[in-house]
Amino acid sequence: MKFIPAGVVPLLLMIHCKLVVGKALPVNTPSPMCENMNLCKPNVVEQTRKLVVLLNATAPDLFSIYLDCQGDPFSSHLDELCNATTTDFPAFQVNRTSHKKEIMVALYKVFAFLNASLGNITRDQEELNPTAKELLERLHNTTKTTRGLISNLTCLLCNKYNVSQVDVTYGKSSKGMNVFKKKQQGCQVLRRYVQVVSQAVHVLLPHLSQA
Amino acid sequence: MWDNPSLRCLLAIAFLHLLSLIYSQETGFPEAPWSLKCITHDLNRMICSWDATSSANLGLTYKICYTNSEPFSPVCIETGEKRADIPVAMGSTNIQITTLNASGTPLATETFVLPEENVSLIPLTPQILNLNADFSTYTLYMKWNDSGSVFQHELDASWQIQILRKETMETVTLMNYDSKLTGKDSILSWNWTSDIPLECTSHHVKIRCYINDPYFSGRTEWSEWSPIKTVPGKDTKLSSAVVFPQDKVVLVGSNVTFCCLYNEGESIKYMKYGSKSYSLLHLSKWSSAIKVQNVSASISSGTNVWCSLLPDNAAGTVLFVGYAPDTPQNLNCETRTFITITCSWNPGRPTGLYRQRQTKYILFERISRENVTCKVDELNKKHHCDFPVHANQKIYSFTLGASNPLGRAESSLLIDVNQRVNLETPDKFTVSANSSTNAHLSWYIPGNFIQIRLLCQIEISNSNSERQLRNISMAGAENSNYRARVDALHPYATYTFRVRCSASEHFWRWSKWSETKKLTTLEAPPARGPDIWRERSPVRETLTVFWKPLLLSEANGIILSHEVSCYLRETMLEVPVPLNSTEIKLEGNDCLISVAAKNHAGLSPPSRITSVDLPSDNVKTELAIAMGNGIYISWHSDPNVTCGYTLKWCISSGSEPCSVDWETFPSNATDAVIKSALFQPGVRYNFSLYGCKHNGYQLLQNITGYMKELPPKVAPNFTVEETSSESILVKWEDIPVEDCQGFLKGYILYFAKGEKGTSKTNFMEEGSPELTVKNITDLTKKSLRILDLQGKTSYRLDLRAYTVGGIGPSKDLYVVTKENSMGLIIAILIPVAVAVVLGVVTSILCYQKREWIKETFYPDIPNPENSKALQFQKNICEGNTALKTLEMNPCTPNSVEVVETRSTVLKIEDTEIISPVADSELPEDGSDPETGSHVVVSYCPPIIEEEISSPLIDEPVGSSQLIYIDIQSMYQPQINPEEEPEINFVTTAGYKPQMQLPINSMKMECHSPTEEDLDKTAGYRPQANTNVWKLDSPDSPISIQSNNENGSFGSPCSINSRQFLIPPKDYEDSPTPNNTGWAFTNFFQNKPND
Repeated sequence: MKFIPAGVVPLLLMIHCKLVVGKALPVNTPSPMCENMNLCKPNVVEQTRKLVVLLNATAPDLFSIYLDCQGDPFSSHLDELCNATTTDFPAFQVNRTSHKKEIMVALYKVFAFLNASLGNITRDQEELNPTAKELLERLHNTTKTTRGLISNLTCLLCNKYNVSQVDVTYGKSSKGMNVFKKKQQGCQVLRRYVQVVSQAVHVLLPHLSQA
Repeated sequence: MWDNPSLRCLLAIAFLHLLSLIYSQETGFPEAPWSLKCITHDLNRMICSWDATSSANLGLTYKICYTNSEPFSPVCIETGEKRADIPVAMGSTNIQITTLNASGTPLATETFVLPEENVSLIPLTPQILNLNADFSTYTLYMKWNDSGSVFQHELDASWQIQILRKETMETVTLMNYDSKLTGKDSILSWNWTSDIPLECTSHHVKIRCYINDPYFSGRTEWSEWSPIKTVPGKDTKLSSAVVFPQDKVVLVGSNVTFCCLYNEGESIKYMKYGSKSYSLLHLSKWSSAIKVQNVSASISSGTNVWCSLLPDNAAGTVLFVGYAPDTPQNLNCETRTFITITCSWNPGRPTGLYRQRQTKYILFERISRENVTCKVDELNKKHHCDFPVHANQKIYSFTLGASNPLGRAESSLLIDVNQRVNLETPDKFTVSANSSTNAHLSWYIPGNFIQIRLLCQIEISNSNSERQLRNISMAGAENSNYRARVDALHPYATYTFRVRCSASEHFWRWSKWSETKKLTTLEAPPARGPDIWRERSPVRETLTVFWKPLLLSEANGIILSHEVSCYLRETMLEVPVPLNSTEIKLEGNDCLISVAAKNHAGLSPPSRITSVDLPSDNVKTELAIAMGNGIYISWHSDPNVTCGYTLKWCISSGSEPCSVDWETFPSNATDAVIKSALFQPGVRYNFSLYGCKHNGYQLLQNITGYMKELPPKVAPNFTVEETSSESILVKWEDIPVEDCQGFLKGYILYFAKGEKGTSKTNFMEEGSPELTVKNITDLTKKSLRILDLQGKTSYRLDLRAYTVGGIGPSKDLYVVTKENSMGLIIAILIPVAVAVVLGVVTSILCYQKREWIKETFYPDIPNPENSKALQFQKNICEGNTALKTLEMNPCTPNSVEVVETRSTVLKIEDTEIISPVADSELPEDGSDPETGSHVVVSYCPPIIEEEISSPLIDEPVGSSQLIYIDIQSMYQPQINPEEEPEINFVTTAGYKPQMQLPINSMKMECHSPTEEDLDKTAGYRPQANTNVWKLDSPDSPISIQSNNENGSFGSPCSINSRQFLIPPKDYEDSPTPNNTGWAFTNFFQNKPND
């Protein structure tokens, strides 16, 4: 052992250097969800509650105007054409007794899905109903509010509940679908959204008021 | 036996065999060929086939020798089949078929003559090479080979293509297609568009051919059908239910078929287009369709078509219904920068299609072969597209194509770009001034205009909103600033500038105006000297010099002061603004006065005037004419006036000294209209006209005038100086000049009968017959006598002054004319005189005939015959209508002593009804109640006894009827009032003192009075009811009602006249009766006493 053949050490050093040079040391890499996430504002909880309340208040009108713009039979045969259970809308299976963290995660999943779906719906409706200013305006406003809500939820999850990753689904892209399918999918998503956001307000308020 | 079918069948076979034997015996051999048939596919060779009894000889062969109609040697071929391929010959072909056995020995030979007519032409069966489907357009594309190389020459070919649909292979259509065979193989193609989406069900296609050769005399037949080719629908192997067509765009008014495809296990409930259900057409087991006719325009998101499926499913599609693009209208292309050409247009009728389906525009330039796709928003009304300008290309031929899924339209335009220049709005516009009359302008226009000249228009507006345009042509440049100089501006004036430009050579249209810029030019010395005038003060030997301020356009800046100098004395005064006069001491010497205005830029040219006033005498005052807006003044031309006339006036306002104003006129002027903003209507102005002579100014004329004459402000003050019964003298005073408001033209005097209180309007009513108007035009006259008036009558006078401007207010007076005394005197004297004369004559006559009169009318003892008063009415006395006086038959007076006295003495107040006999017995006072108890009345019984049966005698008071009453006591009998009604019926005959009348007997006698009874009781009796003799009212009509006979007086008297027929003289001194009444008869009765 005392004898070390000449050239071995340099060889070992060289190998070591080769492995070490140019490679960053492993650190706790933050998840994409919590990247660039600063501390939450003091009123983020209240703001989140208000955003959910706002979405709940505007959702029925959005859905109603959406149906009007699609033409018959979407408003007259709602159950046949817009069966909300057929969508990929995330389940919102929390209640008032659920843990806050679970509620936040469920909300995040719902609104992440909704954000993506609103993108599809808005794009489709800009194509189909370019003259329906009110519908488009409400879709844009709902999208903006949803994004603000997601930002708040992300902040709460990352900073308060230490959740750095949430598995979310985004539903099917409407690209390539025929127009009737696009209308139908938008109808299903918005109908389910109206139901879920109402549940969210119901479930969320006690937790947020305590926080 | 014949009923057995087996037996019948055997017999038929036997019969046929027998016939066969007979035929064989005819040819001689059973192996001989028969029933030759020939067909051709190519008109070159034909395939002939025949039948032959082969029996058991399997090794038979056939030798076929054929010759055409031409004398050629026959051609023979051997074949083991019962068919042979031989050439088609024109005309007929002789075919000899020999049946050979295996060893080659001929067994039978048969010869056929085959004419061409017996040859059939049947084309080869066509084969579909390719069958494709375009599902989006519902179109099937089919290709096949026409096999034209089979024929040696061109032929007409017809094709029949059959389309079949559904599982039951229902024929949808059978189409014909004609082609020409060229001798070479050609691939023919054909397409067909289905009325339903091809996805809805499978479609099958087959084809056959028919050749038409005009030179072929044989039969021509259709080829066999080709094998079927199929385009499968999508009604099988579905992943999920679906509706076709998907997202289709169709024209408004189209008929569209939709089909719903569903999976096994599902069934269709209904299918709707929009909200309307349609009846279903079953295409296949998993496909149903609806047909929608004449679709209307859809909303922007399309019309939904959907099918509801059992058990729980739905599928749908969207149909977009709109219009093909309209032809682009008003296509216009122009350049703004020479970098791009911008084309704009009006899209015309909206298509109703948006975004992906909206109209797409492509701008194609034919010369450069370039095109540009235009990004146009369907929602935006403005449609425009930019095309790059190419160097060295002036002419551009544009075609704007509009297309959408429903169609295409286009519009073209050819332009010379140099003639279609519409420049951008000039930018960075600046204005500067470096002199009093010039301004420099600068602006920027983007674009490359090197090849053209520009025409720019500068708009200059001054403060008076006067606008002028100046055009400037300049060379074009590239993205450059352009400059211009504007001259001939007025010094010290504010202007507003703006600019626009266009192409100079080929004007197309102006650019938009630039923004506006303001500029004030620099000052310059005043353009001229001020207008000046002077007035000499004779007392103080001073001269006051006046000047007028210059107009802004003349001042060329702000006037700071005026320099006044006296030429000879070489003195100079600088009078600051705003003073416009100054005083110069002449000290006995005249001088030439010079005045110059001064501003920052310098002095104006001086204005000069001499101080010399030439003496003038006999200056007249003329009247000017009011023009409404000025004063017209005229004068006589003076040949000595060489340097013009000056008209001076002074306008005073309130307590301030009047401001001198003047106006100068050239020497040849003889009139002028003087206008001034200070002139007021109704104000008198005095003008002085000076003539400018070589040695000074001379006063030529004074003029008075009004700008506008108004009616006098006040009424003339007038009074009535003198009044008589037929005239009034009116005097008035002059109206003060300041109240005239015009030159007085006269007075108008209105007068008419009228008293105070009558309205003025009634008085002034036109046409009133009472109204008299006098117009006094002689202004020197200050009084007027109004004649021909009525005496003692109230007149209303109204005096007004008037000018050209109208009639002034009025002042009125009321005057009463005096009475005409002579008339009154005459009116009184004449009747008085007549009365006196008549009285005198009557008196004389009466005096002369007094005895007769007395005898006639007032005898001492009246003769009843002469007294009408004593006449009875005939109907009363005799039943005769004629009156008759009482006959004075001799009678012996009786005396009746009244023994009963009255407890109550009736006071008789009416002396006229006192019985003269009774009176004679009464004491003189006639009122002694004690003596009244024993009265002796003389009585002469009447010869004619008369009785009035009627209790009611209602005769007029004036009637001459006299009624005699019973001579009775002056005292009323005491009768029970309760018995009065019965008494009324009592009529007693002869004299009966009424107080002795037994009331009971009266009752008995009078309860039924008859004529006979009346005769029995005939005699004098009172004829009137004394109860109704109201002594205080002798004329009362009630007094003549005699329905009560209880009371009566003793003397015969008229109850109408109430007069004693023969008033005794003894009673002349009787007391005056207490009677306030008066009767005309009293007058005569008392007359003798008078």
